[in-house]
Amino acid sequence: MSWFNHHTQAMKLVLARMQGNKTSSLLICLVVAVAMCLPGLFYLGVDNLSTLTNHMQDETEISLFLKLDTSNNTITEIDELLAKNSAIKHYRLVSKEDAWKDLQAKSGADSAVKQLNKNPLPDAFFIQAKSVNPAELEALKTELQNIPNVEHALLNSDWAKRLSTLLQLGKEIIFFIAILLAIALLVIIGNTVRMQILTQKDEIEVSKLMGATSSFIRIPFLYAGIFYGLLGGLLAIFMMAMVIGFFNYSTSQISTLYNSDFRLSLFNGHLLLGIISLATFIGWLGAYLAVTRSIASIKIN
Amino acid sequence: MIQFDQVTKRYPGSDEALKNISLNINAGEMAFVIGHSGAGKSTLLKLIAAIERPTSGTVLIANQNISKLKTSAIPFMRRRFGLIFQDHKLLYDRNCFENVILPLRINGVAGNEAGKRVRAALDKVGLLHKEKVMPITLSGGEQQRLAIARAVVSRPSILIADEPTGNLDASYAADIMAIFYAFHQVGVTVIVATHDALGMSASQNRVIHLNQGILTTEGHISKGIPNS
Ligand SMILES: Nc1ncnc2c1ncn2[C@@H]1O[C@H](COP(=O)(O)OP(=O)(O)OP(=O)(O)O)[C@@H](O)[C@H]1O
Ligand SMILES: [Mg+2]
Repeated sequence: MSWFNHHTQAMKLVLARMQGNKTSSLLICLVVAVAMCLPGLFYLGVDNLSTLTNHMQDETEISLFLKLDTSNNTITEIDELLAKNSAIKHYRLVSKEDAWKDLQAKSGADSAVKQLNKNPLPDAFFIQAKSVNPAELEALKTELQNIPNVEHALLNSDWAKRLSTLLQLGKEIIFFIAILLAIALLVIIGNTVRMQILTQKDEIEVSKLMGATSSFIRIPFLYAGIFYGLLGGLLAIFMMAMVIGFFNYSTSQISTLYNSDFRLSLFNGHLLLGIISLATFIGWLGAYLAVTRSIASIKIN
Repeated sequence: MIQFDQVTKRYPGSDEALKNISLNINAGEMAFVIGHSGAGKSTLLKLIAAIERPTSGTVLIANQNISKLKTSAIPFMRRRFGLIFQDHKLLYDRNCFENVILPLRINGVAGNEAGKRVRAALDKVGLLHKEKVMPITLSGGEQQRLAIARAVVSRPSILIADEPTGNLDASYAADIMAIFYAFHQVGVTVIVATHDALGMSASQNRVIHLNQGILTTEGHISKGIPNS
């Protein structure tokens, strides 16, 4: 009971002190928020992109672009060839005329597409393979590539793979940035708590003389650190929500143009929980380090 | 209750503040520690209150050896004492009530019980009506009485006061001494360091006379104040 009292009293005391010191408390929470928000946003961006590319990697479509001067006879020959190929599940032909019409329909009235007076598009086959095995897909792609009059065979997952390794690299970079920012935060919170300890020096000394244990002295400062972290973390999420809202709004136009519904989503439970608990932990640790060092240095006499 | 056996205290980089002191203070006694400035009075009190540890010799408080006490046990030892310092050590950023409640917080006393005890302590020193006042606005004597209220609020069995009447005029000093007598009367062990003989003539009290760290005379007032 006395333990419980002690903790609630310490919390009340810290909240009262923070209220009495609104500007500096807000400032430190803001610092925590910005430091958490930056890597959080990058992570969210990369994470959203990589779920997109992961999804694409599963696609087993091979695009077969024919040479521009391919005749209709040749197209029929290729069509027959594809129909015989046992590795192919199904395929469809999109003629250059259809592709051109489609593109013109999708683009706006005054777009660059409308300025072209010649169709630049080739005839193309879109092929769905039976296998999902990358090696077999690769083999099929090479086989298709070698058909005469085929300009280019494209395994759609190729670029997705490349992007995904890039994104993986991005994640690792974010991880290191996050570590650096965490260290900076630790120092900043530690310093803030150390300053507070200095202003409470008399109280600490008197409390020690009256038989206060070190944990009694330490607890209010630990709560200060925890509150800075917690409030900073919540503020970080609020800031992220704002940035993402703005991002989604401004990309919605581009997205519709690309016929995509790509939107950044904040609702990544692990990330939100991670940000809040990491911020709280950093707050606690910074305060703990500061308080352990400073309290030992306050001598009683 | 309090036993010193051949206690020597040397501060780092200074001479011996106490030399080979042996003495015994019983529970319920009222003892005065007197001597010139620098005689070692404060040092003696700090050794009793486990604020300093002896360089050699043993200090026993309630049969516990201060030197052998674990660091984690020292806070609990200190809670047996009510300490009154020469410079009050009041906290000037909070009112009288909040100053006095501090030891209760440390002892884990809270709520109504704490409030009642704070008011009882303030009442004992005649400051109940100043509960909400900031200590800086109090006179020197009132501040000293506030410090006494804070020292007694957790009902310690030993009260230790370092020159509690140091810079007070005679009538204030007599007030303060009367308060200590009242606690002595109800069985509290009271140890007061002072450089004047004020208030000591009232009854037979223990006197510990220090001169440059050496225990020169021990006796009772009635047997005559040792001339210094
Ligand atoms: N923290 C300390 N470090 C070094 N020397 C000290 C310390 N405290 C006291 N001394 C020395 O120990 C001796 C005794 O000091 P003490 O404070 O016990 O004297 P006192 O009798 O209380 O004097 P006063 O009446 O002036 O308060 C003095 O010579 C003092 O300089
Ligand atoms: Mg002194």
